[in-house]
Amino acid sequence: MSPAFAIARREGGELLTSPRGLAWLLAAAFAFTGFALLLVGSTQLGLLDNAQVVYDMAGMTIALGALLTAVMGVDAVAGDRERGALLPLLATAAPRRAILLGKLGGQALAWLAMVALALPYLWAVGSTGQNLGAALVGLVLLGTPVALAIGAGAMALGARLRSARAALLSALIGLMLVASPLAIGPSLRQSALGRGFDAVNPFSGAVNALDAMVIDGQALAAQGWHLALVFGWLALAYGLALRALHAPRRPGEEIVS
Amino acid sequence: MSLSHTTSLDPPDDRPRTGSDGAAPPLAIEGLSVRRGSRRVLADVHLHVARGEVCGLLGPNGAGKTTTMAVALGLLAPEAGRVRLFGADPLTAPDALRARIGLMPEQDGLTGWMTAADYLQYWAVLQGRPIGAARAAALIEEVGLAEAPKRMPAARYSQGMRRRLAVARALVAEPELLILDEPTNGLDPRGRLRLLGLLRHLARSRGVAVLLCTHLIEDVERIADRATVIVAGRTVAEGSLAKLRGHAAGRRFRLALGGPAPSLPADSAALLAIRHAGAEEALVELAPGVAPETVWRALLFAGWPIREVRAEQAGLEALYLSLTGAHDAAGDRP
Repeated sequence: MSPAFAIARREGGELLTSPRGLAWLLAAAFAFTGFALLLVGSTQLGLLDNAQVVYDMAGMTIALGALLTAVMGVDAVAGDRERGALLPLLATAAPRRAILLGKLGGQALAWLAMVALALPYLWAVGSTGQNLGAALVGLVLLGTPVALAIGAGAMALGARLRSARAALLSALIGLMLVASPLAIGPSLRQSALGRGFDAVNPFSGAVNALDAMVIDGQALAAQGWHLALVFGWLALAYGLALRALHAPRRPGEEIVS
Repeated sequence: MSLSHTTSLDPPDDRPRTGSDGAAPPLAIEGLSVRRGSRRVLADVHLHVARGEVCGLLGPNGAGKTTTMAVALGLLAPEAGRVRLFGADPLTAPDALRARIGLMPEQDGLTGWMTAADYLQYWAVLQGRPIGAARAAALIEEVGLAEAPKRMPAARYSQGMRRRLAVARALVAEPELLILDEPTNGLDPRGRLRLLGLLRHLARSRGVAVLLCTHLIEDVERIADRATVIVAGRTVAEGSLAKLRGHAAGRRFRLALGGPAPSLPADSAALLAIRHAGAEEALVELAPGVAPETVWRALLFAGWPIREVRAEQAGLEALYLSLTGAHDAAGDRP
């Protein structure tokens, strides 16, 4: 077993066996249930077509998954540091790259658990399941890099900031900004500022691609720019996290205390 | 008083620079200086640990022991000085070098949901030296955790059990250098003696170099061969225990007084440090190189009503108290 795989198993196990991790999944299930009831029970939202509700549910899955990986990312570095777990980990022979990949692997497992949790809700709100395949492909291929980019960014923040609380607050503010396309109205998104923001925002890239695939029925092959955007952000966030976890270069530079 | 100066109590050729086989020593630190922001937290630290040796790193809280450890592990970049782990710079050394080090920090940082055996096997993978269930069980036995239920997760361990598991984690890759930060904190007396015995055994029979960072002088007295005292970010004493004890001998005296002691003139005050002065008794410490008779004459001349002079028992504790007391009195930081 490689160090990265061992760390991923440990991080994933923490989520699936600890009361805190299970509470997260339970809270996500409640959120999905509430949203699904709203989509099928509200007289106005009930008029939305099958594709639209699947798209909305998929967007919410990405938002909840990104929230989970943001919290896990901060906890993986800043939380470990406050618990005294980061110092012995960095003092092992495991390369920093393996440590980072392992922690990202744990977040990937958490994200996949979130997708698995969302699956019955996607099927239920879609009623016929005809858009389920496109939504799943979109979630796996576009949602995964977005969730991991958020998680890696949160790890970089956790390494740079001295306090876990400050890192968590910063990560959540950043997540709210990135996920704002889900909340702001279409008119604002169509403005020059909104279009510019959409063009570079990984979250926009994912939900716009989902829109095109689930609602417009476009093929995955037509989503090249969106895929490039989300994977580009993942590469950038990975690089930042790796740099933040790397051995100190300047005098006084450290990530442990 | 000159005790506050950085003082090596070893002649230069007595410091363990290389092992008997000519190999580089596990840890050698010379003139280490570290700055955090605008604050200098280490000013001039010297520390050497040789194979098969237990070295105590002593100092009051906040003296810089943990910072020194972080630099030694390559987790903090120094401002100046030379740090060598097995002859290599820890900041640029290959990752595999860290497998030769076992670390037990002050905080355990264990994974609570894992059992002890699972956790040790997980840690061995991180160290690049995977172990099987039998080796994990042997380690658990070695640190005295064998009686704990096998399926009990570490989160349900008592503090003492967690410390023992942290020791087993440090030993999992059969390290050549063990760095332990306050390892006996939270251990009951039997557990403490068992751990100290284990450390001494590892040093003597397996040639492991042990760096024992603590503020418990008796732990160092019990098992260490050498000690380094850090105060306010500086090494103020370094040497074999025998030499450190010898340095402390004959420097500390308890004086029985017939009344309150008057203040000393400046030229007499340079001869000694007054640790305590009451109406009936005073505790004084002579400056290095000053003959006791010179001091007694100066005190009598200043009007001290001395009735009896008793030498304090020599020991590491006396030296430690004098070294740290000098800095406490001056309240200095680097």
